This record gives sequence, C-alpha cells and structure tokens, in this order.
Amino acid sequence: MKVHDHAIVREVLDGNKDAYGTLVARHSQSVFRVAFRITGDEADADEVVQEAFLRGYQRLQSFELRAGFGTWIYRIAVNCALNMKNRRKVEAKYKVGEENDPALRQVQVADTAAGPERTLLSREIEQMQTAAMESLTAIERTAFVLRHMEDRSTTEIATALEIAPDAAKQAVFRAVQKLRRSLAPLRVNL
Amino acid sequence: MKHWNEEDLIEFYYGESKSSAAIGEHLRGCEECSERYTALSSDLFAIQPPATPFRDADYGAETWEKIRGSVTAYPTARKSRFGWPRLQPWFGFAMAAACLLIIAVSFFAGRRWEHHSVSMDTATAKNGADQGRQRVVLVVLGEHLDRSERLLVELKHAQPSREAPLRDEARDLLSANRLYREDVRQAGEPALTAALDHLERVLTEVANEPAGLSQARLDELQKEMNTDGLLFEVRVLRSRVQGDLENKQNTTATVKGVSI
Repeated sequence: MKVHDHAIVREVLDGNKDAYGTLVARHSQSVFRVAFRITGDEADADEVVQEAFLRGYQRLQSFELRAGFGTWIYRIAVNCALNMKNRRKVEAKYKVGEENDPALRQVQVADTAAGPERTLLSREIEQMQTAAMESLTAIERTAFVLRHMEDRSTTEIATALEIAPDAAKQAVFRAVQKLRRSLAPLRVNL
Repeated sequence: MKHWNEEDLIEFYYGESKSSAAIGEHLRGCEECSERYTALSSDLFAIQPPATPFRDADYGAETWEKIRGSVTAYPTARKSRFGWPRLQPWFGFAMAAACLLIIAVSFFAGRRWEHHSVSMDTATAKNGADQGRQRVVLVVLGEHLDRSERLLVELKHAQPSREAPLRDEARDLLSANRLYREDVRQAGEPALTAALDHLERVLTEVANEPAGLSQARLDELQKEMNTDGLLFEVRVLRSRVQGDLENKQNTTATVKGVSI
C-alpha cells in the first residue's frame, strides 16, 4: 500500500532522512516539468529540481500537514525556477554575441533540418514562440506558464509567486499582450 | 452597448471571469467583440507548451542521490513537532472511546441533575440546577462543535487518499451529533438545529465513504455539501455557545455572591 506523503514527512522529521527519497521519487517528474516550462532549458530544469528538493528538506519543519506535499514542493520549485530565470537574464546581459540579439533570434531558422517545407515552417513557429517567451520578464513568463500551460488559477499563481492576486492577474495579461504582439506576424503568414 | 476589453476577454478565456455569463451573452450578440475573442482564442490556442524532455522512472532516485550528501538527518524526537507524544494507533482509539464516555456521562449527568432539581422545593435551587445542566450541555456541545470544525477544516484541505481517517472521525461525531440535534430541537433552537442537521448530512456522507476519498469525490462533496458555508456556520455557533457558557458562569458567580 502506498504510504501517504504526510506519514513520510513525519518519518523524515523523526530522523529517517532516506525516507525523503520516496518523496523525491514521487514528485520529481511534475517538478521537472514545471521547472522546464519556466526555465526553457533542460540543464537548468534539472538544477531547479535538485535545489527545490534540497530547500524542501531544509524547510520541512515549516511544512504544514494541512497542505499537500506535492503542492508545497511545486511552489518551492516555481520560486527556484523564477530565481534561475532572473539569474540567467542578468548573466545574459554581460554576454555579447549574435545568439543574444533578440531581433536575430526571432528570424533564425535551423538550416540543418533538411525536411519538407512544413517541418521548416513549424520549426520557425516554434522558434518564434520561444523567442516571444524569452521577451517576457521572469514574473510574466512564470505567471503565463502557470496559467496557460499548467492550468493554475490566479490565486494559486499569486501564492506560488508570493504576490497579490491582482499582480498575478496583471502579469498574465501583460504576458498575453506581449506574446500576441510578438506572434502577430505568424497570424498574417498562416 | 458596452464592449468588453482585452483583459476581460483573457479572463473569460481562462474561465476566471466573474461576468462570464454576461460576456458569453454579449459575444453572441456583438460581432466586433466576437471577432476579437476569436482572434484571442486562436492566438492563445496556438501557444502550446514545449515538449518536456523525457525523464525515466529512476530520475527521482538519481536526484535524491545527488542531494542526499548535502542534507543531514533531523534529530530523532520522542515527541512530534506539534508537541504531542508519538502514540500507538490503539491508544488513539482508546482515548477517543474515553472521550465519548466522558461526554456521555456528562450529558446524562446533566439530564439526571435536571430531573433531580425538579423535585427540589425552592425556586433558587431549581434555577441553579438548570444552569448547571445547561453549562454541562454547553461545554459538551462546544467540544462537539470544536471537533466538527476540525473535521470540516481537514475535509476542506483533504488530499485524495486510500486511508480513511476522516471516515472514522465522522462516524464518531455522527452518533453524538444526532443526540445533540434532538436535544436542541426539543429546547427550541431552530438555528442550532438546522446547523446540526446540515452537519449531520455531511458527516453521514463522509462516514459512509467505502475507503478514503478520491479527488473527484472530495470536490463533489465540498461542492454539494457547501462545506465552506457549513464551516462558517459551525464557527459562528461555537463562538455563540462559548459566549453563552461564559454568560452562564458569570450569572452563577453573581447568584453565588448574593446568596453568600
């Protein structure tokens, strides 16, 4: 029989640190998914997963048994991913090169794909979407990912980002408006 | 005609608008807004989540191995973090049974005391006995409402589970609740009777769950039974009962003071 998360948390707090491994195994896939969607980078997402579970362990005493462990660790992961995104943005400012020029990134098409025209077009759309997402601030991107891709409510987004519900709502609005503007050329072309 | 702005339409798209009925109605009649909404929906629909890279079943174990060395075990505690000693399950049942027994004894003692007081000659003695009985009833009822409130809070925040801790607690509360409901009905307390009646329906539902509660069943129960509303009702009643109890104690103290 599957042991309930709360029972495992109690066990960890009673000194059995290896029991935490069960919680990591149980929730790492969903944490990785949201981390990847926010950071947009596989290696960063792996790092976020480790950081989230590490922070979770260190703060386990503040975990309230009324809440679900999955929801709790998910919120920590969202925060870690947001911090990671902010760090990467700061680092990118100090890098110089073609790959960091947003204008160029928007029109870059991988020429290694020697498939049919449709594949190329779909690749271009995907790249434009990625570039459009990159143009958002970390908060806007995270709020949009949680709303649009993770199907979270405004209240849940606000709780995860530790901001007011109105601010969460505005972040989603701004993200949608920016994305629509960035992707407007696609609408004309398709 | 009032047109809805983009923010309203975005909220509507994500199903979070407070005016969804009005917007839906408006979109059926307004071509301009309808076109704007279609464009918005189409744009948002086109934004699909990127394919998440595959992580196999060992991913969790590998992650744990990477962080395991960075964490230290929590000190073994004899008591839980809530300050309660770690008890065996049978002890919990024994305590619950003991509590029920005390409640039952207190309740019947109250009733006996009431019958006994009828035979007393002086009006003061009769009044004192009534107040004593009411105090006992109020104390016991307060405890019952307190436990019910805890169960409703747990139900509100419950996660799907194959275990049935709520069911057992609901069964315990159900039998006591029937007694109190009957008692307050006879005492002519319609508000309290209605609340206990509502509580009884929720308790019956939870008590009859075959094994644990699924997420769907939890949502259904919370929606159907309006547990939020009931929780509020129980909180109000509990504070009212507590207030009544304090008034009774003050009155008794005053009466005692006069007698002396």
